[in-house]
Amino acid sequence: MIYDEPVFKTLGDTAINVEFGDETSIPLNFRILALDLALRENAPKGLVETNPQVRTLGLVFDPLSTTRARIVAHVRELIAAQGAVTMLPSRRVVIPALYDDPWSRECAEAFGVRNNIEYIAAFNGMTVPQVIETHTACDYWVTGVGFVPGAFMSYAMEPAKRFGAPLYRTPRTWTHARLLNFGGTTSTIYPIRVPGGGQLFGRTPIEIFDPREPSPAFADGPVLARAGDRHRYESIGRDEYDAIRAEVEAGTYEYRVEDGTFDCAGYVVWLEAQGEPAEKRDPESTWGPA
Amino acid sequence: MLEVLDGGLRTTVQDMGRCGGQALGIPPSGAQDGFALRIANLLAGNPPGGPLVVGGEPGAAGLEMTLGRLRLRALEDHVLALAGADTGATIDGGPVPCWSSFVLRAGQTLACGLALSGARAYLAVHGGIDVPLYRGSRATHVGGGFGGLEGRALQPGDRLPVGRATASAEALAGRRLRPDLVPRYETPHEVRVVAGPEAHLFTADSVETFYATPWKLNPKADRTGMRFIGPALSFRPERPGYLVEDAGLDPSNIVIDPGAPVGTIQVPSGVEPIVLCVDSPSIGGYTRIAIVISSDMSRVGQVRPFEETRFVRISHEDAVAALAEQEALLADPAILV
Repeated sequence: MIYDEPVFKTLGDTAINVEFGDETSIPLNFRILALDLALRENAPKGLVETNPQVRTLGLVFDPLSTTRARIVAHVRELIAAQGAVTMLPSRRVVIPALYDDPWSRECAEAFGVRNNIEYIAAFNGMTVPQVIETHTACDYWVTGVGFVPGAFMSYAMEPAKRFGAPLYRTPRTWTHARLLNFGGTTSTIYPIRVPGGGQLFGRTPIEIFDPREPSPAFADGPVLARAGDRHRYESIGRDEYDAIRAEVEAGTYEYRVEDGTFDCAGYVVWLEAQGEPAEKRDPESTWGPA
Repeated sequence: MLEVLDGGLRTTVQDMGRCGGQALGIPPSGAQDGFALRIANLLAGNPPGGPLVVGGEPGAAGLEMTLGRLRLRALEDHVLALAGADTGATIDGGPVPCWSSFVLRAGQTLACGLALSGARAYLAVHGGIDVPLYRGSRATHVGGGFGGLEGRALQPGDRLPVGRATASAEALAGRRLRPDLVPRYETPHEVRVVAGPEAHLFTADSVETFYATPWKLNPKADRTGMRFIGPALSFRPERPGYLVEDAGLDPSNIVIDPGAPVGTIQVPSGVEPIVLCVDSPSIGGYTRIAIVISSDMSRVGQVRPFEETRFVRISHEDAVAALAEQEALLADPAILV
């Protein structure tokens, strides 16, 4: 649901969340990312950091140098000055991946479940090759970065190609690093070895999180993904996987990142032509914010 | 230079943490009990740094011990200070009091025992532990493998470089925190919170239960999160279809979003509220019933497994006042005697 007015939620004494709604939608995320940019360009005194996520902008502030009310007033002014989002900076990042890989299988075996890519195929009435074909057939929009260092959330930009599978009921106690996975329709990669409940279906040889900050793709820090990136997955074989992995470990791999902008307004028009409303509204609901 | 003889249960290098990493998934890390580390640093003649998360000043790095058992040998003379949980520390067999500064001569060994009250002990050394800064802080994040000493907990044989001394041992050693300010870590621990943004999704009875219950700390607690054992909480029954689609069927699921950097209390499936701590994920997907105020995260850091904690609701304004009071106290030179 998209709220009629932006909602400001207070989290203790040092944080505020700004929300425009509570659904997973790329157009809603455009508004969050645009507001985040505006705040970076025009930060109020006492704002410590921002954390843009799919439908929420998290703000951390120092309550000893400003007040909650001043931060909210500043953000309200920025929102009022913003029209519809037309354009956002957006990099395009190509991520090579070995699908149906031995490491995902090993995790599935270790936790006594079937090979997850076969489950994903069955859940969607597809074959395994169709899962790979569909996942590599469109760009994924990164709505936010977070959870563990370098993890991110992304969603298929073409509604007809959006698919996924439910999280494990009981999460694994470990997962190999760099495994591609679905949690619902969220497509992501585990950056490091962590517990998790995502359905595993491939492994990338490139680093998603690397404290060595090995290439210009990591200019902002140890994390490859940025909110507003478009990811495109490319299916590779085992030999290519091993070759790229060797380059990554040697620090010589050239990350395939193109800087650019994205036509958000054009995308919303295109989305609506696909029969996908940019905003879901549920006026009967009593669920909204208190 | 200090040499680690025994890292104890788990000891890491910590300061007051790194700001600015939330949007990259990088938690603040830093001391779980920032009050104790900052007092230890003041006693050792170091910059104490600002408050966790919003201070922007990491201060000097010290060591955080979980329950104690650290043993160190000095390779040169150093002024040290201990604070937080009392581990009954000794130097070559002779006792050294907690919440005080003292000299450890070259060749002497400081041995910490097991804390009997409180969960975390802090050791500061004049000059600070001089490991490299990573993104503005020396705090260790073991999960990410960065900060501190090689991004990990201390092991026997580790050598800890110490920054340059700026004051004499005579001026620094033998000081202590004013006795009336020494925290007592009595149970039930009282932790102040502000109501969370999804408190209204719980039934009124469950909200009442949350504040009335003495919650027992689950022993699996760590620097990422602390779960508390107690009665199950329930949610209002209505839940619109689109949320089931976007967030999941469980009534405790919300569409993923950022929490407070630390202190957020999530209640997955209504069972065992989790207080997110300094190494916590920067986003979450569960209903948040309350948020621990930033100045009381120090109290959370001293709760021992199975000890009882009560959450006390205060207003946002009172939470800010509590932080201001804490900062005023730490800025007052008269707190050290």
